[in-house]
Amino acid sequence: MSLLSPWSLAWLGLLVPLVLLYVLKRRRTRKVIGSTLLWEAALRDLRAERPWQRLRPHLSLLLQALVLVAGAIALARPAGAGQIPAGARLAVVVDASSSMAAVEDGESRMDRARALARSYARDLPSGGAMMLVAAGAEPEVLAAPTADRVRLESALDRLDVGGPGADLEAAVALAAERLRDAPDGSRIVVLTDAAITGTIPLAASVPVEVSRIGGAAVNHAVIALDVRARPAEGAADRADVFVRVARYGEGSGDVRIRAVTEGGAELGARRVTLEDGAPLGVVITADLPPDAAARGSFVRVSVEPVGGEDALALDDVAVAPSPAARRLPVFLVGDAPGAVRRVLAADREVELYETSLSRLAARDDDAPVLDGLFVYCGEAPDDAPPGDSVVVAPGGDAVFGVALGAPVERPTIVSWEEADARMRFVRFGDVHLGAARPIASASVQPLLTTDAGPVIASLARPDGETTIVALDPADGDWATRPGFVVFFRNLLERARHRRAAGGIGEGALGAPLRVPVRGDGAVVVRTPSGATRRATARGGVAVVAVPAEPGVFVAEVDDRELYALRHLTDAEESDLRPRAVFARSDGGGGVATVEPVEHRESWPWLAAILLALLAIEVLWGTRRGAPA
Amino acid sequence: MSLLDPAFLRRLSQLRLLARRRFAGASAGARRSTRRGSSAEFADHRPYYPGDDVRRIDWNAYARLEELVLRLFVAEEDLSLYLLVDTSASLGEPAAKLDTAKRVAAGLGYVALTGSDRVSVWPFADSMGAVMAPIRGRKRVGSMLRALDALEAGGATDLSRAVDQLLARRVRPGLVAVVSDFMDPRGYARPLDRLISERHEPVLFHVVHPEELDPTPGGDFLLVDAERGTEVEVSLDGRAVRAYRRRVAAFLDELSGYAKKRGLFYGRVATDADFEDALLRYLRAA
Repeated sequence: MSLLSPWSLAWLGLLVPLVLLYVLKRRRTRKVIGSTLLWEAALRDLRAERPWQRLRPHLSLLLQALVLVAGAIALARPAGAGQIPAGARLAVVVDASSSMAAVEDGESRMDRARALARSYARDLPSGGAMMLVAAGAEPEVLAAPTADRVRLESALDRLDVGGPGADLEAAVALAAERLRDAPDGSRIVVLTDAAITGTIPLAASVPVEVSRIGGAAVNHAVIALDVRARPAEGAADRADVFVRVARYGEGSGDVRIRAVTEGGAELGARRVTLEDGAPLGVVITADLPPDAAARGSFVRVSVEPVGGEDALALDDVAVAPSPAARRLPVFLVGDAPGAVRRVLAADREVELYETSLSRLAARDDDAPVLDGLFVYCGEAPDDAPPGDSVVVAPGGDAVFGVALGAPVERPTIVSWEEADARMRFVRFGDVHLGAARPIASASVQPLLTTDAGPVIASLARPDGETTIVALDPADGDWATRPGFVVFFRNLLERARHRRAAGGIGEGALGAPLRVPVRGDGAVVVRTPSGATRRATARGGVAVVAVPAEPGVFVAEVDDRELYALRHLTDAEESDLRPRAVFARSDGGGGVATVEPVEHRESWPWLAAILLALLAIEVLWGTRRGAPA
Repeated sequence: MSLLDPAFLRRLSQLRLLARRRFAGASAGARRSTRRGSSAEFADHRPYYPGDDVRRIDWNAYARLEELVLRLFVAEEDLSLYLLVDTSASLGEPAAKLDTAKRVAAGLGYVALTGSDRVSVWPFADSMGAVMAPIRGRKRVGSMLRALDALEAGGATDLSRAVDQLLARRVRPGLVAVVSDFMDPRGYARPLDRLISERHEPVLFHVVHPEELDPTPGGDFLLVDAERGTEVEVSLDGRAVRAYRRRVAAFLDELSGYAKKRGLFYGRVATDADFEDALLRYLRAA
């Protein structure tokens, strides 16, 4: 057994004044009176009235000393015996989802969980070991089973709220696997707010105890945001900001919805009343002109309760690119088929620039980086440019490292990837292709497959993606079909969307940024709150760990800036009310959730009360005193 | 304040007037003796023996009974008042108690002297002090007051011994006014019973101090008995004070009950009250 608060043994110092109180005579005022006969009789009466025999002073002193010793030891918080047996292991699984950032009574759920986990670490018996698992979207072992409290403390310091979702099932399974051969008495403690809908099966091979943190906190959230252009007469940059907000918690409450550009320009505000479980859509119309670089700014929408409470701040802000970013520069390189040129030119939100490989190669190094979609027709450079690109009817044996097969005449279309956004509303059922070159590389994602192999495929790179169309659209009847136009419009829409998102793939709140970098350069990321994070790229990608913070992250890489948008907009996560049901994975019944037990914290209070009462008794009995 | 102070003397004069108004018509010294004498009030007959006063032979009875009998009459004699004043140390704590006791004794003596009764002062503590011999007549009031005024507190209380010493003087039966706080460890019943058995009539004047009856709560005290030196540690909390009050009430009830049971007068005189009130109560009851 160890003492968690050994300094509390200082209370034993009270033994000295306790003894002194018995040794020292009480100071009384001497007073001569006529006769003490009646006083003597009265005091005899008092003694006779007592229901118990008065203890002899030395026995009283002994008892009080024992109480003092017991109280001091209680304050020293002996621990271990009641926790896990010596040598057993304890796995603490902490819910790291966004809802754990909810603040209740001045303390976040994560802080509470961290404190509880820290108390478990402190209470480890001799020979015991503890592991710490963060249950985010992916479980992560922060500390393998160890008795090293320094390591555990370090792991606890790294424990923080992540993005939406907590895979408690996987986290508990991971912990159970680590405790598979642990001695009897080992167990898993899950610290979660249970703000998850549904039943969560938990591993049954090791006893699991679920401690629920937090209550039914009221929360207001932005659960959806979209910005769509709505050009009007004389206002080409007009856009609608569609916001969907919700209240989770009993009753109703007023909130103020405010939309601004990331630069701080006010777009509009609304005050609405929200009812529990009834999301409300709000539209704010504003003019969002592009900046000098023809980029649209980002729209930042926030929701703020008016005089009410709001437990979670992470979901109060959402960001979205403004429609101005839809103006996509398209650099048409090479001799493009007429059908391709027409479909590109037909898109009013495309700024089409025709050029050639030679002209591109002749650009000065100091010239501005061309930021847009490259459409290569016939020839393509050896290396793919940053960003998205399309290669149509490529020549040569390979394009961007992807090998191309020999042309195949009139291949039969076998399948196409309907789930891919580029193939949305595109049908090839009655399309007849002319010559096509099968794309012979496993590193691509086939989009259109013929009996000769994939002829349209997607090549994903860290800094962009390339869609390879290994056929001439004009050769065959595809270019005459609506699906051809839709396919290219889908390509443009996808490129526009990816460009508007800033060049870094979308990710959940708190998810690390995967920043494409040429070579192995360094990346500096500015968080929405102004903090910076640095990382070094490996293999063309720098993975930058960022805090779970909603807003626009700006990555400075090479000589350009890339943007990443992060927000929660997850109704499931914003509903902070506990509702998860935990069950044993082997079907052995439910796992009850319990409130975190504070019994160790109550002992010091009880002991303090005990000591206070003792002090009063001693003071009363020896100084103020019952009649002698 | 001295008993010879003019203000106190005026209070004694007023006391006398009050007493006279209450007992108008009573002749001075006209108290019926328990002894038969030569007054006009017939009491009994007895046979004549040679040597008897032949003037008291009832000749009418001789004519009817042919026996010589003497007529016996109730003797009229002056009253003897013994002022048994407690001067123990307990009367000196606080000093107001002895002062009150002196005033009570002075008042009684004054009324008696102005009524032609015989008055003597018997101060006592653990033994009898300097006794003032019986005096009579209004002109001796000053002597009595000086004797009382000179009394000082000291010593333990021993009423039994004082009564024994009084009776050893074979004094005439009379009124024995015991002015005391009756705080006698040996008790007061036995000596008072002894006085009664010797045909004395004890009159009890109980001198008390308000603080003795109802002590003020609060404080830790080492109480020292003024007579015995006994020390008692007391914290004047509510419980202790309540217990003491119960004891005081029981003591007062016991003393007054004893007096009532034996037909004795019992008057309580508080140091903060007029001593005349207790005297007038006694005079009305006499």
